Amino acid sequence: MSSPSLTLPSPGPAAARKRRLLEILGAVAIAGTYVYLVLNQPTDITGGPGSASALIALSGFLVGAVLLIVAVLPTLPASTVVLIPVALVLNIVLGQFVGSTLVPFYLDAIGTVLIAVLAGPAAGAATGALSSIVWSFFNPTVLPFAAGAALIGCLAGLAARHGMFRRFYLAPVAGFVTGIIGGVVSAPVAAFVFGGTSGVATGAIVSAFRSMGDTLLAAITKQALISDPMDKAIVFTVVAVLVYALPRRTRLQFPFIRRHRVLAGQASNEARTQAAAATTGSPAQPTGQGS
Amino acid sequence: MRLNPLTSLALAGATAVITTAAASWPLSLAVAAAALALAVRGGIARRLLPAAAAVLVPLCLSLLIMHGLFFPEGWTVLVQWGPARITVEGLAFALERAAQIAAAVLALLVFSFSVHVPDLVAALSARGVQGRFAFVLASTLTLLPAVTSRVHRIRQAQESRGLVIRPGLLHRATAFRLQAVPLVLSLIEEAGTRAAALEARGFSNTGPRTSYRAVPDSRLQRTLRAVLVLAATAAVAARLWLGRAGT
Repeated sequence: MSSPSLTLPSPGPAAARKRRLLEILGAVAIAGTYVYLVLNQPTDITGGPGSASALIALSGFLVGAVLLIVAVLPTLPASTVVLIPVALVLNIVLGQFVGSTLVPFYLDAIGTVLIAVLAGPAAGAATGALSSIVWSFFNPTVLPFAAGAALIGCLAGLAARHGMFRRFYLAPVAGFVTGIIGGVVSAPVAAFVFGGTSGVATGAIVSAFRSMGDTLLAAITKQALISDPMDKAIVFTVVAVLVYALPRRTRLQFPFIRRHRVLAGQASNEARTQAAAATTGSPAQPTGQGS
Repeated sequence: MRLNPLTSLALAGATAVITTAAASWPLSLAVAAAALALAVRGGIARRLLPAAAAVLVPLCLSLLIMHGLFFPEGWTVLVQWGPARITVEGLAFALERAAQIAAAVLALLVFSFSVHVPDLVAALSARGVQGRFAFVLASTLTLLPAVTSRVHRIRQAQESRGLVIRPGLLHRATAFRLQAVPLVLSLIEEAGTRAAALEARGFSNTGPRTSYRAVPDSRLQRTLRAVLVLAATAAVAARLWLGRAGT
């Protein structure tokens, strides 16, 4: 949909190198913060005021997320930048909708994963981080989870690139694995910044592990390992359903999908997708038989 | 005097950071009270309080349950039944954390409920790099109410075509799909149109932008912002250095 400008000079290799450097710095900040927190955790979670770890978690993860945004956002084409607000709104609206009517899960990453599948890992990472930052406008407690959300978007994009959405049964598996990684990385934030989790239900699970004598970080990591993989498996499945329900014309306008053959059966099922396009807005046929 | 949105952002952010770094509950409570007073004076308390409660009440409950009942590190036991022990240390830890988080959340919420969004967007996009970020922020804040009403319309349309949400996971999943697919499809289609329009107006071009909206700014506010950022950084550094020395 968008093309490089014909009249303005394109950014030179120096700018590209600077962005690559920022990307690497952001990733290093996030990874370094995590490793530091895990290695140093028992010393000051309960002894003393315990806010040095909170500050390290906050600043390290936030700086990493902001660096990633600064590196990625200017490189995205306008067609992707325009999708990011849509993703943020979907995160909020569909998350609320599913949370209230479908299942007792906290599905707040549907939009992020959708953009990652449509536009690639870089766009997914930027969307995840931006989602946390913009959402913190109404709920400042999600701000420290920006790095975790960026990681989930990036992993979802990588899964899409490597064909995990070509077979319908692979999407939940990819979501499960993403949930494990994302949950483990987000656990120190919950432990050190908030001293717990934000929900009463998840709090109960953490309490159960605490009553067995676990440290706070261990208890929260275990809780994350129980709820996050399931949550992300559902999110990935929902996204697969949504993406396959899109008409072919809409799907194929994304270069990432065309280049990496993200979805199944793009070349052959002309008739099926034309039928779907004809009934736009109404329920299409059961999805997922795309293989 | 009208504050530049960046100045109030710096104020809120520095307050949140310094309160977290100080980690003393009297200061946290004082900051929370000051934020509430500001909200009442600014006439935003009615909108701010429900939002703050929605965030803080579950969080504090969760903290109280988690640390009030189970705190293996605590040794001054008040009540004990079964594996659950209410300890002084657990309660103190929970209350201290709750006060700290409440102070930071209230300070940031006062900013986001009092800021004038067009001013914030203009102030951000005047500085170049953040033009795209400003677009994402403004676009999300304007899309949100529109999409909420569209969800209602889609639901009504599907109900008029015979959608009945019956109990049972499968029925609910089908109902969800019937409503989510049209929503996502229309949003993505619209985004494509918007991208073409923005592109035609030079959205991706680099270089200076002009803005019709003049955001008030002064040398004093610029200095204040710099001082606030430095103070927050210094507080973090001092805290980390002291923490290192203490352990």
